[in-house]
Amino acid sequence: MNFLTEPVGLSHFLAVGAFLFVTGVVCMATKRNTLGILMGVELVLNGANINFVAFASPYFREDNLGLEGNLLALFVIVLAAAEAAVALAIALNYYNNHSTIDVDKANELKG
Amino acid sequence: MLTPEDSLPFLLGLAVLLPLVSFFVIFLFGKWLEQLGAHIATGAIAAAAMCSLTAAAIWMAQHAPPATHHAHPAESHAVISQSSVHLTALHDGEHDHDHADGLVHGEHDEHADDAHFVPPVYTGHWYSLGRFYGSEVAINYYIDALTIVMFCVVTFIATCIHFYAGGYMHEELHEVTDHEVTLADGTHLKRPGRYHRFFQYLSLFCFSMLGLVIAGNIAMTFVFWELVGACSYFLIGFYVERQSASTAANKAFIVNRVGDFGMLIGLMAIWASLATFNFGDVDRNGDGKLDPHEHGLFSLLRPAGENGLHELRVPDGMVLQGAKERVEEMIVAAQPGTTTADLESQILAQVSLWRDGKAKGDATHYGYWLLVIAGVGIFCGCVGKSAQFPLHVWLPDAMEGPTPVSALVHSATMVAAGVFLVARFYPVFAPEVLLVIACAGCITLLIGGSIAIVATDIKRVLAYSTVSQLGYMMLALGVGGWAAGVMHLVTHAFFKSLLFMCSGSVIHAVHTNEMTEMGGLRKKMPYTAYTMLVGCLAIAGVGVPSALGIPFGFSGYYSKDLMLEQAYLFRSANPLWGSIFFYAATGGAAVTAFYMFRMWYLTFAGEPRDEHRYKHAHESPRVMYVPLVVLAVMAVAIAWPIFGNYGLTNVIEQGRPIGLWSDMASLDGGYVWLHESKSHADEIRTPVGLMAFGAAMTGIFLASAMYLWRVLDPTDARRTFAPVYKFLVHKWWFDEAYDVLFVRPAKVIAACCVWIDKQCIDRLLHGLAWSVRQIARCGEAWVDQGAIDGAINWFAAKTYSTGAALRGMQTGSLRQYVMFIVVGALAMFVLMSFWSYGFAR
Amino acid sequence: MTNFPLLLAAEINWHTVFFYLTSFIACGFALAMVVSSNVVRMAFFLVLSLAATSGLIFLTGAHFVGAMQLMIYVGGTVVLLIFGVMLTAQQAFISMKTKAGDWILALIVGGSLLALLTQIAFSVPAWRSSDYQARLQAEVTAAEEEIIAAMAADNRTELTAAEAAKLRPLLAKVKYGQPELTSQVGLGLVGVRVDKPELDSLGYSGYLLPFEIVSVHLLVVLVGAAYLARSKRSAVMQTPEGDAR
Repeated sequence: MNFLTEPVGLSHFLAVGAFLFVTGVVCMATKRNTLGILMGVELVLNGANINFVAFASPYFREDNLGLEGNLLALFVIVLAAAEAAVALAIALNYYNNHSTIDVDKANELKG
Repeated sequence: MLTPEDSLPFLLGLAVLLPLVSFFVIFLFGKWLEQLGAHIATGAIAAAAMCSLTAAAIWMAQHAPPATHHAHPAESHAVISQSSVHLTALHDGEHDHDHADGLVHGEHDEHADDAHFVPPVYTGHWYSLGRFYGSEVAINYYIDALTIVMFCVVTFIATCIHFYAGGYMHEELHEVTDHEVTLADGTHLKRPGRYHRFFQYLSLFCFSMLGLVIAGNIAMTFVFWELVGACSYFLIGFYVERQSASTAANKAFIVNRVGDFGMLIGLMAIWASLATFNFGDVDRNGDGKLDPHEHGLFSLLRPAGENGLHELRVPDGMVLQGAKERVEEMIVAAQPGTTTADLESQILAQVSLWRDGKAKGDATHYGYWLLVIAGVGIFCGCVGKSAQFPLHVWLPDAMEGPTPVSALVHSATMVAAGVFLVARFYPVFAPEVLLVIACAGCITLLIGGSIAIVATDIKRVLAYSTVSQLGYMMLALGVGGWAAGVMHLVTHAFFKSLLFMCSGSVIHAVHTNEMTEMGGLRKKMPYTAYTMLVGCLAIAGVGVPSALGIPFGFSGYYSKDLMLEQAYLFRSANPLWGSIFFYAATGGAAVTAFYMFRMWYLTFAGEPRDEHRYKHAHESPRVMYVPLVVLAVMAVAIAWPIFGNYGLTNVIEQGRPIGLWSDMASLDGGYVWLHESKSHADEIRTPVGLMAFGAAMTGIFLASAMYLWRVLDPTDARRTFAPVYKFLVHKWWFDEAYDVLFVRPAKVIAACCVWIDKQCIDRLLHGLAWSVRQIARCGEAWVDQGAIDGAINWFAAKTYSTGAALRGMQTGSLRQYVMFIVVGALAMFVLMSFWSYGFAR
Repeated sequence: MTNFPLLLAAEINWHTVFFYLTSFIACGFALAMVVSSNVVRMAFFLVLSLAATSGLIFLTGAHFVGAMQLMIYVGGTVVLLIFGVMLTAQQAFISMKTKAGDWILALIVGGSLLALLTQIAFSVPAWRSSDYQARLQAEVTAAEEEIIAAMAADNRTELTAAEAAKLRPLLAKVKYGQPELTSQVGLGLVGVRVDKPELDSLGYSGYLLPFEIVSVHLLVVLVGAAYLARSKRSAVMQTPEGDAR
């Protein structure tokens, strides 16, 4: 039971990030709802973001990324917001044109 | 009387002979005995079990087992330097300092952590068959902790199976109508019952297995080895009138012959170079001293050495055999006037140089390849008996025998014989051989596990599960986990016999093997259902991972964790192969849990799928379910370490052969086998325990999702993975491939011979004329139509098909593109790691 | 391993406890989101998972980023998504089932990716634990001992101003951790690096340029989104059921 008394390290944060990342990927691969896929993308970006802030934290490593990591995380958040806006617009447009939001129906470019 | 030197051979010898007596009694008077025959056989094996347990008690009283080893923390990180493990050469006479009384060696129990530890062994002599030039063919015994453990396991399980079979084979007491055999006139075959004969073979089977376990020399081993094979032939073909049964019996026998051919080569290589059959040292003339010809092959192959580590050493005979050309050169170059004795001593002086590759200008390690061949040859025999790739095809077909036979064949006798033999011959195996064993085990476990996923015949699922578990044992032995492999052999024997007898009980109740016609049976037959659930939990290795405080679980949990730990340890020294082995084993654990629970859910959970069969199902009689309960208790508790130092692990640890208490390396130093005690370190146990737990839980969860909660539809999955499914249902096309590769060519050659014999001359004359015409026609067909038209058409067709093939990638499905990305990333990583481990080295 | 009494005796590391708490909430709700097939519930689970993630970010000391995560992500992006859900929430699309084959494939591929990534995360021994707290404690103890020794030598009971100034940042570090201050982040965005002053002399402009690029990007995105999402007025006018929408 000594895992509650020992300080956590960088690896633990990376593992949580990896878990969120994989959950996002699985979400993207299994949801048929366009919005579900968008949510998966958000999770993936979040998982990556945890890595940035964890590498930037002074609590885990002496030679941390410092401010750079935090700023990159901020940019990621902002870009995720922008991406969500555009993707949502695309999704709504798709819904207007096809009267469905099932991505499996969107295979007109199939070879 | 109660000294182990006297009592152990007596008790174990009695345990071997009792089934033989039972066999002869039933053989001679079987017809008049009727049901009494079963009682005789059961009584004999039960008495043998009592003898074995008494022997075990005497053994333990004499030799307190050592504590399980925990490596020093600093040591577990260390990958040993290669220089410390190269094979050392020493003269023969120096290693008998600890053989003072010649009969009992190594009473150093309290020094178990010591690399110089010599396990306690009792060797001796019963009867001499003949003597050729100083080497003797005899019946003698070799008793160590492994022998004791195997005796207890075999007799105990066989006793349970005898009781069970008494109920299961009940209908053979009267005249039997075999509904699976239709005669020419359309009626079913009627034949007299063969109750006594079944028990007669069963007794012979137990006798031969016990004889194999106690055998003290190679010749005896080989005789009992073949007897085991013959008995399995009788029992698999018990319903001889059925075409499938007789074919399966033939298949088992012939496939085993292929393996035994290799084994003979291995045994001959050992005998020719060591001139002894014995495993251990036997003081034949009783003078209390060991003469050179009284040494057994273990002490010849692993002399104590300068450092006392008993490292493997190529024997002189093999060196001379390998360096034959050098010897001839020496004889030719000898000065005239040199006496034969001088020449001989010169050559012998060279032997140790040749062995170590230290001869002037010649770094070849003479004789080493012969040792490797001997090891691989012996392993070939085990491949056949233990159903390893590529000779695993007979085991699933052996389902044609009655279910008690399957239970016996799959747990304690036939397939256990192969693993036992690898464990017994372990000191003989060079590291290269261990790598071969590990590879065969790894492939086998993947093949068996994958086929078991799709099998619908309840006994076939279990059969492929056995194949897979045997692969596990071989893998564990191959990566250096002697105790891990033997441990799994024991625990597997208990839960697999339990599972088979449960399946027999189900088949007895519903009269079908197809799981698609079962379902919901747990209400009708609770004893069978819940003992089988215990078996499934045990084989899946369910338990509390050691990271959470108290490592505790079903028996399979202990042995599976030991094996995975050893694979993980192997990986720390050999990244490339170790990674493959470890991930195959971990994935195999998930697959095991999946198919076992799939089987349980399909059989016992849910709604009945066949109302008619469900209505007639009933719990088996008490004589059948009581052995199930007994075995279920053993499957839970056999590996519990609560008996202090007297747990199963410690007793097995006591049987570890000499020379395995230190690290080993292959000849070129490229592969390193770390000593097993290092795998018990916490930094290996914690991640491995968690991964094994995760794998088992994943498998159970997925099986529950598909077959219990019905969240995921199995038929849907089958459709999605149609090509994979087809591949697995056809068992990787092994039978078909062997048919094409071996059976048909043989038939074709035979047909060719007939054809040449009958029509040789005619065909020659006609053929000449015909061939001239044909050449002209071919000229036209090939050059004009084939070469010119064909090239252009081929190019066009290839272009088209490439385009069409690439078209398939553009599925237009967003979700599949996501999968492509992830798979690509994974593949890139795998390639990179292969590059850095494999090529850049 | 079997040291239950230790649980009572040893000091529990609250940073670790909160890490496990928040990470289990984040992972649990992310998993719930994957498993759930109802899109409305998925959106709700996503909000909780992202909020817990911001807690994780706070635990690394990046307070400003954590706050932004809460505001932009939880407050903005997810609300946007929920709008999308509401706009498209018709009975047929609320829960759409996926084929079992796709699930199994995704689980196998995802599982192997997870195994790979986790293994990599734990492959560097130095990353498995942190000695930050121990180091900080040692630093504080050393400073305190030095001051006590000085006080004993001078035979006084009051701290001098220099000693107090030396001790204060250390005690603040113990009490508040080492958060990246909002002002540092803001100055970094406009081009001044207060955390690494040595960079200023080299003509380094901080994150001014990326900041500008991102702002232009946001503008473009806003215009684009508005353009994409606007309803086609002419088409709506011509179709009779356009009014019903």
